[in-house]
Parts: sequence; C-alpha cells; structure tokens
Amino acid sequence: MNRLRSTLTDPLVLATLSILVLLAAGEALSPGFARGDQIVRLLVVSAILGLVAAGQSLVVIGGREGIDLSVGASISLGAVLAGNVMAGQDGSIFLAVLVAGGATFLIGLINGLGVTMLRIPPLVMTLGMTGVVQGALIVISRGIPSGNAAPALMAFVNRPLVFGLPGILILWALVGVLMWVLLRRTRLGYAIYAIGSNERAAELTGLPVRAIRTLLYGLSGLFAGLTGVIVIGYTGNSFVSVGDQYVLPSVIAVVIGGISLAGGQGNYFGAMLGAIALTLLTSVLTTLQLEFWGRQLIFGAVLLMLMLLYGRAGRLRA
Amino acid sequence: MTLLLKAESITKRYGAVVALSDGGLELEQGEIHALLGANGCGKSTLCKIIAGTVAKNSGTLSILGRAVEIGGPREAEALGVALFYQELSLVPQLSVADNIFLGREQRSGAGFLDARALRRDTEQLIARFAEVAGAGFSADALVSDLSPDQRQIVEILKVLARKPRIIIFDEATAALDRNQVALFFAILRELKAEGVSSIFITHRMDEVFEITDRITVMRNGATVARFVTAETDRQAVVHAMVGDVTALAERPAARPRSDKPARLVLESVGNKRVQQVSLSLRPGEIVGLGGLQGQGQSSLLQGLFGAAPFTSGTIRLDGEQVRISRPSHAIGKGIAYVSGDRGRDAAFHGRSIFENIAAASFSKERPAMVWPGRLRERFTKAAATLSTKYAGLSAPIGSLSGGNQQKIFIARWLATQPSVLLLDDPTKGIDLGAKADFFALARRLADEGAAILFYSSEDAELLSLCDRILVFNSGAVAGELEGEALTAYNLTNAAYGRAA
Amino acid sequence: MTPARTNPAMAALRNRVWLVTLSALIALFVINWILQPNLVTPNVLKSNLTVFLPVVLVAIGQSYVILGGDIDLSVGSIVALVNVVTVSVIAALGGGVPAIFAGIGAGILTGVACGLVNGLLIAGLRFQAIVTTFATGIIFGGLALRILPTAGLPVPAEYWRTYGGAVLGLPVVLWVLILALVIIAIIARRPFIKHLSAVGGLRQAAFQSGLPVARIRILAYVLAGLFAAFASLCLTGETASGDPLMGRLLALSSISAVVLGGAALAGGSGSAFGAVLGALVLGMIGNVIFFARFPFEYQTLIQGLITLLALAGGVLVARR
Repeated sequence: MNRLRSTLTDPLVLATLSILVLLAAGEALSPGFARGDQIVRLLVVSAILGLVAAGQSLVVIGGREGIDLSVGASISLGAVLAGNVMAGQDGSIFLAVLVAGGATFLIGLINGLGVTMLRIPPLVMTLGMTGVVQGALIVISRGIPSGNAAPALMAFVNRPLVFGLPGILILWALVGVLMWVLLRRTRLGYAIYAIGSNERAAELTGLPVRAIRTLLYGLSGLFAGLTGVIVIGYTGNSFVSVGDQYVLPSVIAVVIGGISLAGGQGNYFGAMLGAIALTLLTSVLTTLQLEFWGRQLIFGAVLLMLMLLYGRAGRLRA
Repeated sequence: MTLLLKAESITKRYGAVVALSDGGLELEQGEIHALLGANGCGKSTLCKIIAGTVAKNSGTLSILGRAVEIGGPREAEALGVALFYQELSLVPQLSVADNIFLGREQRSGAGFLDARALRRDTEQLIARFAEVAGAGFSADALVSDLSPDQRQIVEILKVLARKPRIIIFDEATAALDRNQVALFFAILRELKAEGVSSIFITHRMDEVFEITDRITVMRNGATVARFVTAETDRQAVVHAMVGDVTALAERPAARPRSDKPARLVLESVGNKRVQQVSLSLRPGEIVGLGGLQGQGQSSLLQGLFGAAPFTSGTIRLDGEQVRISRPSHAIGKGIAYVSGDRGRDAAFHGRSIFENIAAASFSKERPAMVWPGRLRERFTKAAATLSTKYAGLSAPIGSLSGGNQQKIFIARWLATQPSVLLLDDPTKGIDLGAKADFFALARRLADEGAAILFYSSEDAELLSLCDRILVFNSGAVAGELEGEALTAYNLTNAAYGRAA
Repeated sequence: MTPARTNPAMAALRNRVWLVTLSALIALFVINWILQPNLVTPNVLKSNLTVFLPVVLVAIGQSYVILGGDIDLSVGSIVALVNVVTVSVIAALGGGVPAIFAGIGAGILTGVACGLVNGLLIAGLRFQAIVTTFATGIIFGGLALRILPTAGLPVPAEYWRTYGGAVLGLPVVLWVLILALVIIAIIARRPFIKHLSAVGGLRQAAFQSGLPVARIRILAYVLAGLFAAFASLCLTGETASGDPLMGRLLALSSISAVVLGGAALAGGSGSAFGAVLGALVLGMIGNVIFFARFPFEYQTLIQGLITLLALAGGVLVARR
C-alpha cells in the first residue's frame, strides 16, 4: 500500500500519467488531437519550453531558493538580437546564435554574481534584471518588431528533418542527453546536487560554491538566449515581449517534473516530461475554448497543487 | 514533599533515529534536580517535550498527579513550565527588553505597548546582573550585539520573567564565568525557597554537587539511574552516565614516541576565535584537544581546514610552509575534516550514500567525468572498514541511523587517503558500538602513519585515544598533558585551570 | 570568548538605515527641484504625490510581510482585482454615492480576502511564500480578467473628483498619506509589531517563546492585502476607470521600496516608515530621470538599472 502510494506520488510517474490522461482527454474532446502530426506539433512547442526549462532546472537544483525569472526577458533579448543579426540571411545564423547566447550568458552571470556575491535573493535579483533587460530591449529595437529569421532556421524548427521529425526535436533530445551527462557523469553535476542539498557541507568538501552557482545562472541565461533564437525561428520575427509567456511555464514545468524548489533534487528528464504535460494542458484548455483568464486560473491552481505535493516546509513543533 | 512533575516512558523518534526510548523524570516541589548524561543521550529532547516544543511519540506527562498533554510552548507556559534553551530562544534583531518580555509585553489601557513599563521592568530584572554582566548590557542593547555570556543572561532573565513553577535550565551556565554562575546559583536558591522547582542540566559536575538535591541520569535515550545528591558521589554518577565502561577499550600502553619529523607544525596561528596556538604533530600520533566546550578547539580545526581561515601565524606540512584559506586547499594537501554536526556540516540530505561518499574524493582528484561503476568498489571498501550497515550505495543517506551516517562521512574522507585527520567531536550523538568501531579505526589509521588531531567534548574519549592532549581555554592552549599525566583529574584541572 | 560588540556608531546607523534613505530622498528632491524649478508649487507637489501614492501604500503592506520573513508577489494582482471589483460593484449598483461606498467596501473586503488566502496557504499549510504568492497572483489576475476582460468601465465623477479634490484646504491625496502614516504609527505601537519582528527574525525562537506564529504571519498578509486595496482605490481615483492589468509592476517596486527603506529581505528588521521613504525615493528617481531629459527610449533602462543598483545597495547596507 505504502509502496503503491510512493509510486503514485513519484513525480515522473505522475507526469507521465498526466500526459496520457491529457492526450486521452484531448482526443475525446476533439478527435484527431492525438494524431501523429498533431503530436509532433505539440512536441515542437514543448521543446521550446523544454529548452528554457533546462536552464531553470539547473538554477533550481542548485538550491538556495534558486529561481530565474529573467528567462523571459533573456528569450526576448535572444530573439531580438538573433533577428537583427540574421536579418533573414542563412549565412548569419551561426553568428546570430553566438551573439544571442553570449549576451544572455553574460546577463545570467550577472544574476549569479548578484545572488552569490551580494546575496540578493534570486527571485528579487532576476526580477530586477528583467526590468533592466526590458529597458535594454526598448533601446535596441525602439519598441517596434524587428529582425527576421533566416529561412534555414525556420525550416529547422518547423519542417521535418529526419524520420519526419523537425530538427528542433532532435536538438531537444540532444540537450536531454547532454543534461543527463552533465548532471550524472561529470564532477560538476555531482557538485550541483551537493550545493543544492547542503551548501555548508559542500563548502566543507572543498566545492567552489559561489562559482558553481554563478555558472548555473549563466547557463540559465544561455539556454534562454538559445530559446530566443528558436522562438524567432518558430514565429519568423521578434518583438520585445515575446519571451514573457515562458517565465511562469518554465518554473511550473520544472516543478511538475519533480525538481524540488528546495534544491538538490530531481533531474532534467522530469522537467522534459513536465514541459510536455504543461504544453498538453494548455492545448487541451485551448481546445475547450477556455479564455485566457481561465487558463491563468488553472495554471495557478496547478502550481498550488504542486506546492501541496512537494513544496511544504517542516512543522515548527518537531 | 509533593511530586510536581512526572514524566514516564517518553519516546521520540526522528525518522530512523531514536532520540528517546524510555525517558523518565520525577520532580518534586521546591527542589533543584540535575538531569545528567552524555551528549546525545536524550536530555535536551526530554526537556523540549516537557516544554512543548517537541511532540512526543508516546509516554505520559503529569503535573501534580494529573495527566497533561502539552501541545506547544504556550500550553507549557500556561502550566507554569519554562525552558532555558541551550541554543537560546532569543531574536537577534530585537532588544534585550523586547526579548525578555516577548509575547507578554506590558500594555497600556488601550492595548498599546507600554514602553515605560517595559523599560522599568527590564531594568529591575537586569539590575541584579549589572555588576557581573560586563559593558554594553542594557535594556535597549540589541541581542545581536551582546557577547555569548550576556545572551545567556538574557535567556535566564527571559525564563524568570515568566514566573514559572517549573524551570528547566539546559546548559544555562555553559558560557557564564564564575561570578555570573555564583549569582545565578543564588537566584536558583531563592526560587527554591519560594517553592519553584528547577531541572538543571550541566556539563560541570562540580555544579551538580554544589547546587542540586537529586540527580537523574540518562543514557542512550533512556533514564537509567536516580540518586539523592547528598548520598552519592561523583564516581557513582559518572559510572551511571558512562554505563558499560568496557565498551570503550582501555588506552593502550603508551606507545614509543615516534621520532619521525613532524608532519604538521602550527606556529602561533590565530583568528577571531583562536589565539596564538602552536603545535606539532608527527605521523602516527593522535593529539587530543581538550577543555570545556567552545574554547576554540573546533575553531582551530576549522581554521586549519580553511573553513574559517587563520589570519596570523604559519602552517607547515612536512616542513614546507603552506597557505590554507579554503577547504579545497586543505583537501589538496591530504587533510580531512570530520565534523560532529553531521546534519549541518556533512550530510547531503536526500542524496544517495554514493554521492555522500564521493564528494571529497571528487574535490581531491578533480576528475572531469564520473563513472559510478568504477567507483562503487572503492567506496564499498571505504565504508566496509568501519563495518557500516547500509542497504546499498544508492540508498538515500537519510535511511541510515546517526551512527551509520557518521561512518559514511568518515568513509568519505578515508576514500581520499588523507595524511592528516581533523576530527571535530566526531562521535557526537552516536551509539557506543559505532564509537568503538570508530576508535579502532582511528588507532589503525595512526598506526598506518596518519597524523590525527582529535577534539572530543567527552574527556573519557580523549583519555582513551590520545597520545597527548592540549587543553584549551578561551581560544588558547592552557596546558599540555602527556604520558603519566594523562588522567581525568589532570584534564579537568587543566580545563578549569584558568577558566572563570 | 570574544565579545561580539561592534562600533556603537555603526550599530546605531544599522538600525536607522532609513536615515540613509531620508538623505537620499532629500538629495533627489533638491536635484529634481533644480531640474524642474516649478516643483515646489502646490499643484506639482500634489500631482507628484498622486503618482507616488499607490507604490507608497503597497510598500507599506509589503513591509509587514517582509518584516515577518515572508514575501508577497501577488500585491500587483490584488490591486487589479480590487480595482475591477470596485468599479463593477459601483456600476452594478447604479453609480450613485451609496454605490460608490459599496464599491469601496467590496474592494477593501476583496483585498483582505486575498491576503487571507495567501496567509492561510503560507502560514497555515506551510507553502513556500515566493512560489505561492506567485501562483495566487496569477489566480487573482485571472479573476480580474474574468470580471472585466478589457480596460474601461468608468467610475462616477463623484469618485474621481473627490479623490482629486481637497478637504479642509488640503488635497485628498495628502489626507490619504496622513491617514496611512497614522495607521502605521498605531501598528508600530502595538505588541504585534514586536511579535512580527520576532517571527521574521528567528521563527524558531518566536515559536519557543509561545507566540502564535501562524496567526501573526497570516495577519501580515492580510495587512498587505488591505494596503494593496487602499492603493487600488487610489489608482482607481487617478485613472477613473477599471483596468484588469492595473498594477503589474507593483510587486517588484514595492519590494524595492521596502529594501530601500532599510529592511532585510530575510526578515526581522525594517519598518513601514522606511518603506514609505523607499517608495518616495523610487518615485523621485523616476522624476529625475524624466526631467534630466534622457532620450525617451533610455528611460526604462535607466530606471531598471537604478532600481537594481538600489536593491543591491539596500541589501548590502541592511546586512552591515
């Protein structure tokens, strides 16, 4: 009985079950919902969310109330920078990725330094950084949509590449493998769990806690910037608030996937499932023709339910 | 005599760890009652259960013969029970006055804070301590600005201000000097005359025989003996506390002093908490750090390990001067540090035993990639040297008992094959069996050439394991004992030598 | 044992970080005056206060939550929800003076209810404060959109005229500020404020001292909801209509104001009065940037940078 209960509350099992239930519900509501090409379309949307969630996962696993709310602004910055650098030219894609990734990596590092050296709570630091990046975006783009995706980039995101799957899905799978290697097969990965689980113990085993945590915020920025490049490939052009819609889902996806907001727990595979589950949920809600407010309500409720499952503090009376 | 408080067969578990298996206590009206036992025997847990801050799993509490359920500190206070918390219950950001009357502030008619009454009552309370409390002790001072002894006085006053009929003093004298203790005892006697009962926990046996009427002894989570203070002696009490003394092996015959060159030499190192400490440590030697708790022993080890680096003096390793300003420097040079405060300093909660062992090895060897398969055998071997009981390397650390967890954290360092071991009260709260395993291991490591600095809050451990003991007082070395001089009497004497 | 005593001058300053904030406020005021010579005229001062007031009020509520060691990210959404509830109730009841009072009452109740929900989830069910108020903020915002999908629905002229007018020779906005200061002065003299500081300073110690920790934290969230409602009613008087997206940036600016006012985000120190000063400083920074005639597109960036720097500085000063 206990065994059954712990299996059912295992985040991975829970996420997988909700994916299946949502697929069934979608198919019931609107036949064709779970058709092959529809699923590929949903996976592409999940992949975009999943890429941001990769950075968010690292920051959250790294502990000390780790959270990155500046990913939205970084996605927008990545998209705007990439769009302007590419300007529709295939030959400039590589440079665009470099510029977008470099700028957002830097922004992430600044977040990390604020969190580690100045000890500003991550939430406040990254929220404050959001304001700065949004200001910078207004300067860069003067508030008007600008930049164009290169055709090759759009094809990579939207057209089948191999086995009928778009390149973005191959990329996402690759990121999944890389994240597994990073977290489970490198010393850095073990260190990330260690600092997230017990910072003082990590220091006493010789880990450079601040440097690692700073790097995690940098990586989160980097993933967000690259997501921005994908986003402009998905939509074709960019505007200054294109990334805002990903902030909240990236946090929810991570929590659905069983990455505890207390840090030191969970893995990216869970966050990938979380991204798929959340995208499916949004899609089902859209099928239900639920308005924006209804979706917000359900998102909020899902987040609270996850808090009930995973995010409660201990009692004061032991 | 009337029986005021009775605690019977109290039990408390934290996950897999049993803190109390059979706690009991009988407190009479108007007595001062000592509650004694080694570290981790369950005294503090029992007291917190009586004071309502910890919930018991089973057992009964009764006051004046009536069974009571104490659901929280408020209910305890309503029953007239107050606890002096060993780790203190003061809010650093609030003033002395605010802390003393926290939750029972003087109010004016309209329910506003009555600042004048608060100040008047506080000054009345602190007036008694004015002469012994030292500078900066006033009603308006922030607790964060007070010295440890002053904070302890505030906690005492906070307890007294609640006018309880049962007071539990858990290590209330630990940071006090002699004059402060004398005043505290005078107050205790006055309370006793008024019919207030006190439970008194201390690490200083002299105080027990000076002030208490009766003694209850606990061992490994259970109450094991009761004495009337006037009818017993120190030896009988200590025997009850230690229990089956043979579990700790007797000290081996003095080993010939090794004439190898020193592995570690400290020359007047110091920082905020350690003053001008010099020592030298040879391979194969176990040197103890003794003295009362908190006299700089841990700080010396943490300084040497780079966790709270020294700001003056020099460190030499194998004759070569080294700079250690963070733990990774120390680890790179083959130094290992085992803390007794496992939960805070060592445990990666929620992670596997494998990861908990691997951390230090990774820091030392700095592999870019990790292949768990290849490391399993090595870590299994490291854990086996301490006969650790565990389900498998992938089981979570929390599934082990305290003693076995500590073995894992020691295995963490053994896997790095250290040449200098810093042991910071490593046996705190672990059972006797695990202690015996640990002692055998320490001796074997020394025989194999490791140099060991060993701090223990228990004198018996130091005496049975160490070749020499440096006795600390106020952050400095107050004396050194060696050979024939290594006796409990000398150790206690040296510890109190300049104290107070 | 080494005594942990510090320089008394530093210690005195540490507990009066608001003095630094006050100096900054005066300096900014002088700079603003130089850049904008007509600053010190009743009309300009009044319009400035009208702009600053919502942040001031939200920051006061936020300061109690932060003093208790928690945080409230949902205050912006509470402002929006209270606004749409107020204008909808007024419209539904026909827009007369009684309808206005009913609307204001409904708005205040809404704010208190939102605070109560936050408090119960966080202190009662022991949810983590940051993510929980993040989530409830989404829910409150969603409800606001449900009640009023798009901006519009004007309030009766009596409402905004009164808010923009004067009583006993003083502008109503000034009366609101005075009233708010009186409320925080009253709260500052209640035992509650000591209990809240204790809960935020060292929760375990507060519990061991017998304080009803959960009830105290819930009350702090209710105060945050209440002051968010006040802020919303002021904003409604200023904009004279309903807007479900009102107050989006208030969560961050209120937190910034509280930090600028000398509070530690970890809880246990700081004051509502400091938060008022912090909010005024934030507003004056905006003014100075505007009147310094930076190119328009740079203003958001500069405001963002200064806010971030102020946050970093505030955190550093409060830690000393």
